[in-house]
Amino acid sequence: MKGSIRFSNVRKVFRWRGPHSPHETLKGAFFHRGARRWKSSREQYVALDSIDLEVTTGEAVALIGPNGSGKSTLLKLIGGILKPTSGKVEVAGRVTALIEVGAGFHPEITGRENVVINGMLLGLGRREIEDRMQEIVEFAEIGPFIDQPVKIYSSGMYVRLGFAVAVAADPDILLIDEVLAVGDEAFTRRCLDRLARMRQRGVTMVLVSHDLDLVTSFADRALYLDRGRVVTEGRADAVVARYRSDAAGDSGRDQQPLSAREGDDKTRWGNGDVEIDGVDLLVGEKESRIVAGGSPCTLRIRYSVHKPTEDFVFGVAWHRSDGTQVSGHNTDLAGFEPLRLATDGEVCCEYESLQLAPGEYLVDVAIHARNGLAYDYWCDALKMRVTSEVEWPGVWSPPQRWRSTGPEWGKSTEHRRATPTNNDE
Amino acid sequence: MTVIRILWRHRALIAVLVRRDLDARYRASVLGFFWSLINPLLLLAVYAVVFTYIFSPRFPGGDPYPLFLFSGLLPWLFFSGAVLDGSATLIDNGPLLAKVMCPPELFPAVTVLSHLIHHLLALPILFLAMVASSVAGLHSFPWTFPLVVVALVPWLLTTGGAVLAISVLSVHYRDMRDLVGHLLNLLFFSSPIIYSLEGLQVPVMLHRVLILNPLASLVMVYRDAVFAGRVSPPQLWLTAFAVGGVSWWLGTWIFAAYRETVVEAV
Repeated sequence: MKGSIRFSNVRKVFRWRGPHSPHETLKGAFFHRGARRWKSSREQYVALDSIDLEVTTGEAVALIGPNGSGKSTLLKLIGGILKPTSGKVEVAGRVTALIEVGAGFHPEITGRENVVINGMLLGLGRREIEDRMQEIVEFAEIGPFIDQPVKIYSSGMYVRLGFAVAVAADPDILLIDEVLAVGDEAFTRRCLDRLARMRQRGVTMVLVSHDLDLVTSFADRALYLDRGRVVTEGRADAVVARYRSDAAGDSGRDQQPLSAREGDDKTRWGNGDVEIDGVDLLVGEKESRIVAGGSPCTLRIRYSVHKPTEDFVFGVAWHRSDGTQVSGHNTDLAGFEPLRLATDGEVCCEYESLQLAPGEYLVDVAIHARNGLAYDYWCDALKMRVTSEVEWPGVWSPPQRWRSTGPEWGKSTEHRRATPTNNDE
Repeated sequence: MTVIRILWRHRALIAVLVRRDLDARYRASVLGFFWSLINPLLLLAVYAVVFTYIFSPRFPGGDPYPLFLFSGLLPWLFFSGAVLDGSATLIDNGPLLAKVMCPPELFPAVTVLSHLIHHLLALPILFLAMVASSVAGLHSFPWTFPLVVVALVPWLLTTGGAVLAISVLSVHYRDMRDLVGHLLNLLFFSSPIIYSLEGLQVPVMLHRVLILNPLASLVMVYRDAVFAGRVSPPQLWLTAFAVGGVSWWLGTWIFAAYRETVVEAV
């Protein structure tokens, strides 16, 4: 299946190659032959041990853990850049790695030629690259600089162009190693938007990041690595919580009650006749916490009934993290007459196009009687992120087009696609 | 053979990389390509002056000496240039190897091919020099000149094998590069480039050692075609091709042995 990854009992050992290793030089290799034998066990460094991993097509998996825990090594094994010492690595489909983007650029030749070479290294044909050149140049926002030697680029331009080529390579599997940490804020935002769109298209993603908020919003699943071994694996938020508590435990145990503070008193109330089991955001059939502005998505409310009732309303209220109300709607306003609620099930609210400006949004979900009596009212039941290529003020981001007859306009070379388009790719 | 298969599969990429190599080298200067000829021409001038006016070499078939020298120097520069660059090629492209999954064979191949193209671009100059000297009556025109294409095959195989081996070895042993420089010097003076083996007045032992130099047959085969105007005897051709084959085989064998650890070592 294209886009899937499977690791079985993978182990990766590096031979120590520090400046003091005798094998760094020919001279050393000749004169330290005897030393080699008894030192060999100390010269080894086990980067990964007994790793089993299964990623299915379209999944987004995050690798978290402290520095030196083997995250990047794991990524390189998936990318085929490194070979496992033992065990089996199976990867299906085209892999693109966003590791040190732009690393392969040659300073003396132009951006355009570098794009061709980089694209071919990533497995594109020459024609394919030339077809996508315009898109790449636009995304990188480097305009006429594309025909200048790369050595005169600013570091930002360098990274932007590298990123643009990598995402244009149309991979089945995308490996992301902290690349979102580079570049300015505007670019990071556009990268995130692009990644969200690729994810919605079903590209498998493996992400290494220290930005735990990004991990929870972006990944379905997380793998917590420490010293080359998997500590725990599972839903991203659960794994992140575990990692956070471990990290906090390392630095000082007095901060422990942090997670316990997520008490239900203030943010959730109701008589419990009907209970909300969970709220999910579905983007293209898949659970997610991140959605590209303007894309279709669905809110799914899973509930169980403890006491059957004939008076019930399902409602959701959107607001921003600063408290700004965005929208509220419920089944009553939509014209649904409640008849009977006796069995557990799901209620979905579908959005044809989520016309929201980029940012973080919180959704309150409630099941209540028509007079307002709450069975279960859950504030901030879901936290999610909307992405967009450009930062918008406000909360509404409708598709729009400007028309004019009077003024004359010049065509901007730094063409920004302001409208969150539905037909992006 | 796997090396060949990998290279063939990535031929489009290799073509682009070779172009990049040449572009980057020529574009940095206004005179571009001509700069790359300065080095051989300067070398040629120095040796020609030294050996015509300071020492006077006397060996049959060595006249005019500058042309004799040029026809030996040209393939040597191809070989030594590629080997020297080859010792750095994987290290220089290390960031790329660590980022993208691409076969490491590409880079030594690109080094060899771009030096081969340099060489082919310099060939017309040698040709014109031959034409000019035969018009001036200094030398009879070597009608065997087209045989240079065949003579280049063992050169290509030898250079390819050497570059493959040296590229991986210098990744794993960082002092390889210095060693390569010394070895090339030794090889240069022990090859019949600035002199000819025919009628050489040296002790028998030294003569035997010089004959054993694997590059000797390659230099002679090449020079016979482009300078002396004769077809080399079959055993010389055979030796040249055998040297090429063994070098290629050895090079690919060493490369395969170190291939898997290249990324970790760069």
